[in-house]
Amino acid sequence: MLILDTLLIGLSSGAIYALMALALVLVWRSTRVVNFAQAGQAILSTYIGYEVMNRTHSYWISIPFAIIAGGAIAAFIDAVIMRALAKRSHKGSVAEIAPVIATLGMLGLIRSLTGAIWGNEYLQYTSPVSGKGYLIGGHTIPFSPQNTVIVVGALLVMGVFAVIFKFTNLGLALRAASFQPEISRLAGIRVDRIRTIGWAFAGSAGAVAGALVTPTSYLSPNSLDLLLVSGFVAAVIGGLDSLIGAVLGGLILGVGFAFILQYIGTSVTFSAAFIILIVVLFVRPRGILGSKVGRRDA
Amino acid sequence: MRKSKALSALTFLALGLALLGLSNFVDELRVYQGAQIGVYIIAISSIILLTGYSGQISLGHGALMAIGGYSAVLSFTYWHLPVLLAFTVGALSSALAGFILGMAAARLSGPYLAGTTLALAVGLPSLANQFHILGGEQGLSFDIGEAPKWIADKTVGEFTQYKWFFWITVLCTLVTMWFIKNLLQSRYGRTWKAVRGNPSAAALSGINVGRSKVLAFTVSSALAGLAGALLAMLLGLVAPMAFTLTLSFTIVTGAVLAGVTNLAGSIVGALVLVVIPELTDAVATHLGGSQKITANLPGLITSVLLILTVIFAPNGPQLHKRMRASKKESSNTIK
Repeated sequence: MLILDTLLIGLSSGAIYALMALALVLVWRSTRVVNFAQAGQAILSTYIGYEVMNRTHSYWISIPFAIIAGGAIAAFIDAVIMRALAKRSHKGSVAEIAPVIATLGMLGLIRSLTGAIWGNEYLQYTSPVSGKGYLIGGHTIPFSPQNTVIVVGALLVMGVFAVIFKFTNLGLALRAASFQPEISRLAGIRVDRIRTIGWAFAGSAGAVAGALVTPTSYLSPNSLDLLLVSGFVAAVIGGLDSLIGAVLGGLILGVGFAFILQYIGTSVTFSAAFIILIVVLFVRPRGILGSKVGRRDA
Repeated sequence: MRKSKALSALTFLALGLALLGLSNFVDELRVYQGAQIGVYIIAISSIILLTGYSGQISLGHGALMAIGGYSAVLSFTYWHLPVLLAFTVGALSSALAGFILGMAAARLSGPYLAGTTLALAVGLPSLANQFHILGGEQGLSFDIGEAPKWIADKTVGEFTQYKWFFWITVLCTLVTMWFIKNLLQSRYGRTWKAVRGNPSAAALSGINVGRSKVLAFTVSSALAGLAGALLAMLLGLVAPMAFTLTLSFTIVTGAVLAGVTNLAGSIVGALVLVVIPELTDAVATHLGGSQKITANLPGLITSVLLILTVIFAPNGPQLHKRMRASKKESSNTIK
């Protein structure tokens, strides 16, 4: 019974990690940038969701707004910052790390911005669905209706992505542009525009993660930092350039964390992410579903 | 060569004496901020050495600073070491951690390394809650005591605690800068630059690329550890809250603003990091801004500066100018 409980909790947090990992992988595939600003983008969209909820008094209405905001913010960052960066800093001693630095700068910028607007204190972004565990046969399991919402929401997003990437022209263009930008350009795909759309999808996925997970804790400018790290670890487990890998990586990490939490203790969760990451990078650096290109050539 | 070395040693010495003298004429707050600048200079130099010269990135230097800070405090409290020896212990234990991390780092490139060190920065400080000896969330206090009498008696006016902090920091900063400057001009510095420029060519020239990267990471970590120990001294304590992710980001920001390949730039970077909060504070109180804005304005401005720098002057403001100048020269000669 305890094992089942732990597994359920792991699936719920794993779904969130998977969304975050999806967001990171989408951007990585198309631009070879790990978007550290993703935590910031997600938090800003969640704050926007929070504002909408305060006005409309509905959690459900606020989610689409957060998603749209997430997409818009991401598209803006790509179109304004990343394009300017790609044009200017392809040479020089810091060219390799320039995108990392730029996304860090964005993370700092968004954090300070949200802090300046909403303050650094903890806000409550509440869901109408209960956060208390289901009662089954007199036994309260740690899996709550909100966890159900999380899992269903994450599955929905993944389903939508799967349909877009598999069955639409847009999806085809997205895949082509990320793997062979030059040839895609020759084939008439506007690679820059497609890339921005890819960023927007990533931003939306991150926004869903933020809007779904925040009701289980609190909202503050850096409340998603740990999620960024977990998302990155999940993405690396999955291979960093595979969408399915990201989902699997998220679930594996979520369940792994849940068991560590249950059987070792809460205090190790922070360090666990680091240790798992190191182990994965040493044992199987290209992840479970990553392409052959290892981390050295990245 | 010998002569210029002696000259630069003299310059460092003169600079140190001038700074120490200056500490008698400015008020307490400025003395404290001077010490802060010293700490940042060391921390930023550690990133410059790592990123600018060896081409590796670290978002986890805050964690390495924490290791330095905690080890210094523990050795000071339990082994009753003299302060400077405790700092050395801090630097050495951080170097050890950096050596281990560096072995992993040498096998990773760009984004992987950034992500791994990021995970370290998030994870490590929370370890303090796990071991009783580390004092949990409240941390451990660190009181180095007052300046010895033979120093205090020889100076003008009252020899305050902050002035003593400042003196120690100035000493450490100057020694560190002297050390890095020489190291970068030595064989090792040249090796690092070669590896950063072209790893394959460096390997073909007989350089052990992996070993050179690990060495850079180790030295850089030692410096970060020293900065962490000094920071602990300034704060009077070590606690997880003092070594947050923000600290790691801040020193990377400082290094980028300094121009990551320019050691002297670390002074500019450190100044910016200390001056900006001061300026924004003044502006915000003048405009009557709320506490929310005052608290977040410095971060906002440094982030904007960071983004602008990386887009418009990726090699740092100074080097950029120099490169443009040399480009002009070369185009002139072609004509």
